[in-house]
Parts: sequence; C-alpha cells; structure tokens
Amino acid sequence: MNGVLIDRKDVEAFLIDEASYLNDGKFSEWLELFTEDAWYWIPSNKDNYDPNTHVSIIYDNKERLGERVWRLQSGLAYGQEPQSRTRHLISNIKVLDQDDQSITVSSNFMIVELRRSIQTIYSGRFEHKLRINGNAWKIASKKIELINNNEFIGNLSFLL
Amino acid sequence: MKLTMGTVNISDLVREGAVHGDVYTDEAIFQIEMRKIFENTWVYVAHESEIANSGDYKTTVIGSNPLIVTRDSDTDEIHVVLNRCRHRAATVCQQEQGNANYFRCAYHGWTYSNNGDLTGMPFQDGYDEKFDRCKMGLIKVPRVGVYQGFIFASLSEDVPSLEEHLGHARKYIDYVVNTGPDGIALNAGVHKYSFDGNWKLQVENTIDPYHLSVTHRSFFNLIANKTGKKINFSKMHKNEKIRDLGNGHSLYELDGDLGIGALPFNLIIFPNLGFVGSQVRVTRPISVNKTHVSLYPIMLKGVSVEENANRLRKHEGFYGPAGFGTVDDLEVGFDRVMEGLNAKANGAEWLEISRGMNREEIDEDGIITATSSDEVSARALYKEWRRLMTKE
Ligand code: FES
Ligand SMILES: [Fe+2]
Repeated sequence: MNGVLIDRKDVEAFLIDEASYLNDGKFSEWLELFTEDAWYWIPSNKDNYDPNTHVSIIYDNKERLGERVWRLQSGLAYGQEPQSRTRHLISNIKVLDQDDQSITVSSNFMIVELRRSIQTIYSGRFEHKLRINGNAWKIASKKIELINNNEFIGNLSFLL
Repeated sequence: MKLTMGTVNISDLVREGAVHGDVYTDEAIFQIEMRKIFENTWVYVAHESEIANSGDYKTTVIGSNPLIVTRDSDTDEIHVVLNRCRHRAATVCQQEQGNANYFRCAYHGWTYSNNGDLTGMPFQDGYDEKFDRCKMGLIKVPRVGVYQGFIFASLSEDVPSLEEHLGHARKYIDYVVNTGPDGIALNAGVHKYSFDGNWKLQVENTIDPYHLSVTHRSFFNLIANKTGKKINFSKMHKNEKIRDLGNGHSLYELDGDLGIGALPFNLIIFPNLGFVGSQVRVTRPISVNKTHVSLYPIMLKGVSVEENANRLRKHEGFYGPAGFGTVDDLEVGFDRVMEGLNAKANGAEWLEISRGMNREEIDEDGIITATSSDEVSARALYKEWRRLMTKE
C-alpha cells in the first residue's frame, strides 16, 4: 500500500485494503491509515451540509476516531457485544479530483452486517480524500453517505 | 367496564415498586396504550421553529395517528389535523416538512387548505345537498396548546389545560428556552434510531442514572483518561436528586458536568417527550416491540456558530445511532431486556422499580424526591400509566 498512487487501479487496491482492516477487525491498523487532521463523517438526514450547523451521525476528528477505536477494544463497548461481522463490497470507483499531493475518489458500497442473528444491508457512497504523506497514502477524510441516513437506523456501533 | 388481559387485570400490572413484564411484551396491552394513553393526554407534536413561517407544515404522529401540524397561511394560527383524506383515507401529505397552501390528495383529487377545510374536488356532480362540504375538512385534533414554543396536541377534548398538565415541569421548560440569549431553535436536523423493543424502555432510560457507571463505564473511563478526573458515582448519586413532578413527569438534577450535554437536568414529560443533554427527545411507539426515537439538538439563538457547533459535537459524542452512549443503551437497556423478558416461568415475570422507596421525601407541593440512583422516575411514569390505562 506504500508508494505513490497514480491510477484508479491503485486507488481501488487502497480501498480494498482499508475495507479488509475493518472486516478483519484490525482497527488499530485501520486508524493508522488516517492523517492527524483527518475527519470521518457520516451525515444525518441528508448528504451535504455544513456540520457546524447540522447534526451528524458521526463527525469525528482524529482524536475522537481514536477514542472510538479505543472503546471498541476496551472490552466494555456493549453495543458491540456481540460483535458485528461485516463485509464491505466496493464498486463504481471514480476519481473525482487529483493533484500531485492528493486524490478524491468516489465509490459505491454495500456493507452487510451480521449481529444478533440479523443480517442488515447498508448501502451508499463513500468519498475518500487521500493525501500523500512521506511515501504512503493516507486518508485525509472519509465521508459515508448512507442511502438511509434519514431513516430510523439501528445500532451503528461497528465501523463503516 | 373492567379491562382485563385474559385473567390479568390491567390495574394489577403495576404494584408497589414493581411492574409486570407484560407491559413491555403484550400486543393487546400495546393497543390499549395507544387508545387510553396516547389518545387521552397531551402529546408533543412540534416546536414552533420547525413551522416558523406562514404555510409551513410538519408531519408527525400521536400514537398510531398520522398528523399534519400547519401554520395557517392567512392567520398564522397553528392547526393540527389528521393526515387522512375524508374521501377514502389516503394520506394527503407525504413530506416530513415543507410549505404549502393546499394539500391535494393524489388519489381522487380532494383538496384541503392548510387549515384543513375541504376546498374542492374534481367533478362537482354526484353529491346532493345532504353532502355538507363544510363538515368534510381534514379532522382537527380537538386540543392544541403551545408552551414556550413547544406545541402539544390532545386527541381527547377531555384533558386539563396544557399549563395544568405540565404543572411543576413548566419551570424546567422555561429554563431550557432561556439557555439561548434569543431563545432556542430545533433547526439542526435529527438523530433517528430504531430498536426492537417496547417504547417505555427508552422513556424509562431517559432518567435512569443508576445505570450510568455500569452500562456507560467505557465512556466515563474515556472522560477520566482525558481529563484526569474520575467521577465518584457513589458520591454523585448521594448529591443528586430525582423528583416526581406529578402527572407522570419527572426530573433528574445533575451534579456538575457529566460530559454528555449542556442541560443541568434530564426531564421527562409524560408520555414520550424528554429533555436530555442538549437535545429534545421524542420516543414513538411503532408496535409492542418496535420503537422509533428522534433526537433534536437544541440550538441556541444569539450565540456564535462555533458555540452551537461545540454543542453538536458534544451531543454526537454520546448520543445518536453511533454515539458512544446510545449504542450501549440499545444493546444492554433494550435488546437484552427484551430478550430477558421472554423468561416468564416460575414467577419471573415482575421487574423491580422499588429502589429508594425507603428514602423518598415529599414536599408541600407533593413533589416526591429521592437520590439519583433511585427509581423515582420509573415509579412516576407507571403511576400515570396506571391512572390512564384504568380510567373509565
Ligand atoms: S382518497 Fe382522497 S380523494 Fe379519494
Ligand atoms: Fe444510557
């Protein structure tokens, strides 16, 4: 995953690697992918707005994202006891914007979550902003536009 | 008429310090709740800031009844009408919120003004003089009241005034409204979540400080790691009070900042409204084992964007479908309780709500107070529940 990404194929490989950290429960490794000034955003009710004036399901800076991961590993995060099993399917990958330091990529996702014997499908669009950091690409932001972000949603304590 | 559930009398489902498990699981009891509670008392339907301008509307429900709350295009008066066409019952408004002078039913085209009057229908023939158009408007909810911008409605005519119903809870609503220099607004969106459990579990959980140090230990450990200050819960509970304010309402007075919101108290307004942290919370029964919860962050008017943004971030930290607190309540307080309620054998059917009954104090206003680990709030809720459920 290290090295400079240049084309869509590399971006795709990056997204697949990121998803496997989540699906394999390697949350610390996943957290490492984010830059220090990163944010991780799941909008509520609609896809686009100013998070300073509208509530979000999640609007984490790196510190709170770190706390989220810490909590999941604390043995006391009951919302993940039993733990969710997830599979991320990612497709429709499209580079939206690119310069020599960063790349913005849109993708569609389907996340199948199994918890308490119930399988739930979450779907929507990811927008990743990746930035070169030394010789590795890092996630500067990850936005998750759930198609059901204005519905009454279940326990979202797993990582999307 | 005595309402009975098989052989169980409804009034026997609540006894001193205990409630029967059937109140959370029995489909017939749920149906009676919808009629005898939700259709017989004041229920919160909207905040004025959600329908600020002439012609604004919002759709909502009371119990199982879909409603439209509108601000009259001509008079600015607030109307609450049933969202059900007087022809053959189709809902006439589909949006959550909007602005409209008319609601036109898309089935056969009956059209209503936003005060509910029937103003027209396609093809004027086919009805004789016995058909009185004036009586065929959208059905108005008989009682509508506004307290400090909070709009309540009652499907029953036979209720006391809203002021009387809110009673001792009024001054705490006043406090909420006065937290902003120019008042408050519910204009920052909604957290919506759902769980497969009974609605009363969420209402009870709105004031249940007894569970904080257990269910939410990871959250408070996190705060302690960050600030270097560990909350002494045993001491905290001794300093804090819970009060039964009457009419099913109750109050939890916090001792200092728990890191979960701005208000110095949690307030439950019977049956399904709450003020918690920095939010207005509405708990909607969908079925006996399905509940929808809406959290509206309270935005202050007359402060900086930054101050309101900080409120939002703090709120999101604990509350909502991915909040560090809410998700643990969903699992422990709702999913596990619903699972446990399946055990009914050998006298297992009762739930304890007796904690602190031995140390309650009653003041001259009749307000019952005990410490914050006591189950005063649940007892207040079930007192009013039982009163309405058994009312003839
Ligand atoms: S049902 Fe509305 S016009 Fe017929
Ligand atoms: Fe809780």
